[in-house]
Amino acid sequence: MSRSRARVSSLTETTPVAIAALRNWDAIVIGTGMGGGLAGRRLAERGLAVLFVEKGPIGYRSEIQRFKDEPSDYAARQMLGFWPAPVEARIAGGRTTQFFAPLGSGVGGSSVFYAAALERPERHDLDNVDGFAHPTGGWPVSYDAFQPYLKQASELLSVRGEADPLSVESGPDLPAPPLKEAELKLFAELRQAGLHPYRAHEAMRRLPGCEECLGRKCPYPCKMDGRSAGVEPALQTGNATLVANCTVEELFETSGRISNLRVRVDGREHMLSATTIVLAAGALHSPRLLLGSQAVHREGCANSSGWVGRGLMFHLNELIAIWPKRGNPSAGATRCMSLRDFYTYRGNRLGLLQSMGVKADAGVIAAHLKRSTFLRAIGRFPGVGKLATMTALLAAKFFGNATVLVGLIEDLPRYDNRVSLHPNDPDSPLIEYQFSHELKRRRTVFRRVVRKKLGRFRTLLLNSRPELNFGHASGTLRFGTDPSASVLDADCQAHDLENLFVTDASFMPTSMGVNPSLMIAANALRVADIIAARHDIALRIAR
Amino acid sequence: MGGEKQPVALVTGSGPGLGRAMVHALARRGVLVAYMSSDSTNGESEPGLQITADVTNPQDVVRAVDEIHDRLGAPTILVNTAEVHPDRDILDETPTSFMATVALNLGGAFNCCHAVLPDMVEAGKGRIINVVTFADLAPAPMASGYSVSKGALRILTRSLVADLGDRFPGIVINDWIPGTHAPRRNIADGVEPSLAAEWGANLALMDAPEVSGMVFLRDCEYRPNVSLRHRLKDRLLGKSRALVRLGQISS
Repeated sequence: MSRSRARVSSLTETTPVAIAALRNWDAIVIGTGMGGGLAGRRLAERGLAVLFVEKGPIGYRSEIQRFKDEPSDYAARQMLGFWPAPVEARIAGGRTTQFFAPLGSGVGGSSVFYAAALERPERHDLDNVDGFAHPTGGWPVSYDAFQPYLKQASELLSVRGEADPLSVESGPDLPAPPLKEAELKLFAELRQAGLHPYRAHEAMRRLPGCEECLGRKCPYPCKMDGRSAGVEPALQTGNATLVANCTVEELFETSGRISNLRVRVDGREHMLSATTIVLAAGALHSPRLLLGSQAVHREGCANSSGWVGRGLMFHLNELIAIWPKRGNPSAGATRCMSLRDFYTYRGNRLGLLQSMGVKADAGVIAAHLKRSTFLRAIGRFPGVGKLATMTALLAAKFFGNATVLVGLIEDLPRYDNRVSLHPNDPDSPLIEYQFSHELKRRRTVFRRVVRKKLGRFRTLLLNSRPELNFGHASGTLRFGTDPSASVLDADCQAHDLENLFVTDASFMPTSMGVNPSLMIAANALRVADIIAARHDIALRIAR
Repeated sequence: MGGEKQPVALVTGSGPGLGRAMVHALARRGVLVAYMSSDSTNGESEPGLQITADVTNPQDVVRAVDEIHDRLGAPTILVNTAEVHPDRDILDETPTSFMATVALNLGGAFNCCHAVLPDMVEAGKGRIINVVTFADLAPAPMASGYSVSKGALRILTRSLVADLGDRFPGIVINDWIPGTHAPRRNIADGVEPSLAAEWGANLALMDAPEVSGMVFLRDCEYRPNVSLRHRLKDRLLGKSRALVRLGQISS
């Protein structure tokens, strides 16, 4: 074979879809992000014949593509591994806008672009805790039941970092990499302010030559994500297969089971079948697929409760610029620090504060200033934008570069916040979202307490309006014990369908105060174990 | 991750002139050089590996790159120098003669890129230099095929950057206008090929991702005229920077 035509990807185990369509798989996994990748890996390691169906391309292992909003062209986005189609959203009752959510499409899904923040949730994120009632009465699976899977996920994803000094839970097994001088100063300053920073929990193997691929694809199996910790080890078992550039268009239901899925590759339709279907297309697209599968029920698959697509949550992002004390260097773009001093405050559920991999130079500060309410109000006067730029430039000259911290504020489920089917474009999820008064109130509390604790003079709250984190969608196929108020049961099996399971962020009934990836991974392993156990029993009966 | 290996360069169009001078300049810098031309007669006592191949023939090019791969290693540097410059009145061009010029000046460069890119993509790094001219901006009389094909080659450079730059920033791609005016004669200010080749060899060893997409004219980065307003703004925002130069000439 000519060397020029040598295969340049490590993922060579692809199967033409027509061949994949010839057999019944033990499990088809729809989507290869954190949820699909890890579920498929566990299933393949337990001996099931697994077919991964991925909408995006395999890509090349040496790519270091960074996530961007551009280009907008469908084919170009598909090539780069970005979700190719936009979403449409109506936020807070305003105009409907169309934009690209920060979603990946390709092996590893969005996780190949993530910042590898794998923080553990708190007990009260899931359970009713003394004096701190859970808003839903608690998840159907408790924190203690999740513990072994959180631990397994941490191991598979090589999570490293320090224990949170405010928590009784132990930290990751692997140590955090050494800090730079400026980062040490940041820790010292925060400790002086009476806070409790700890080394953020990250899913990186820190191999020699590690380039900290935050926000971009990692060319080595160093950053651990749905590809490097999911699909690639799954394919190495020999039990898994991948079809890429393959869009699932509809699920077909026959007597309480998903019998087939219709997929499209290169413009041609194919039908695939499996004993078990694992849906992991992400919390915006998994419900869209179910809602669009109307062959048997007009309201869509698995939707007897009417909750498919509802309960949509995003975290609120609060960006905070913090300048070092005079004489101290700026820590710049660093992901090294997390702290949970504001995780809850006087009975309010808030969330994690972490340093963000962004250096707040003049351009970043100016961009945020321009978006502020005041400047927007006077923005029609000429020169206001330039004024903001100049102000930011002067600030940078005086104070040096800031470090940007990002606070996550937990979102809670509302029936009316939802993903629904777009009337004209079946590819685009339609998002309807209102900020509840309750959420706005907690945001006010968060901003007040952050300003108070971090000091008024060296910090700047960068967003004046609440900012939704569209990369952290969850809740749209919530699990619960009541089939009339949830889509999935405690096993993340659809109440309505005996062979449909969900392993992406859709299952979460509340959004927690931390980045969702670790919980998605832990739940994927848990659900895969349930599926594998059933598979083992079925095999034994068959013998 | 992965040790530094000796670079391997493929220079096309290594007849007398710039191509041959590039072979020498690269070899002096410790690069393993292969040079490819359709003419096998004048190549003895040259450094490097001589390969006879027609760049307009994709199979020839693939075979040549396979041979380089086996004997020197995967090419890490490609310098597309091969070109023809027929002096021909457009009234005398035939569809065949016109497209033959395009097939060599543009198609030959594409064929070589196509053959070396899989290895560069796998490594996540590589170097491509397309030798071009400003002929596309103001085509000279009697040079339609040349001007069109070289102009298109500059677009190919930008297309390569558009498709590869984000995913593989380690593959560094440039246009270079050496100023030798070869093979055109009778132009007084042409640079000696041996001098231009020193700059070209330095450019070929410049592998910083920031350099990718820049156009080089002789020994210096070339930027089209920027308005005073933009220059002032860049200065204020601290974005202005010095032009990249191709450095001192080794003796």
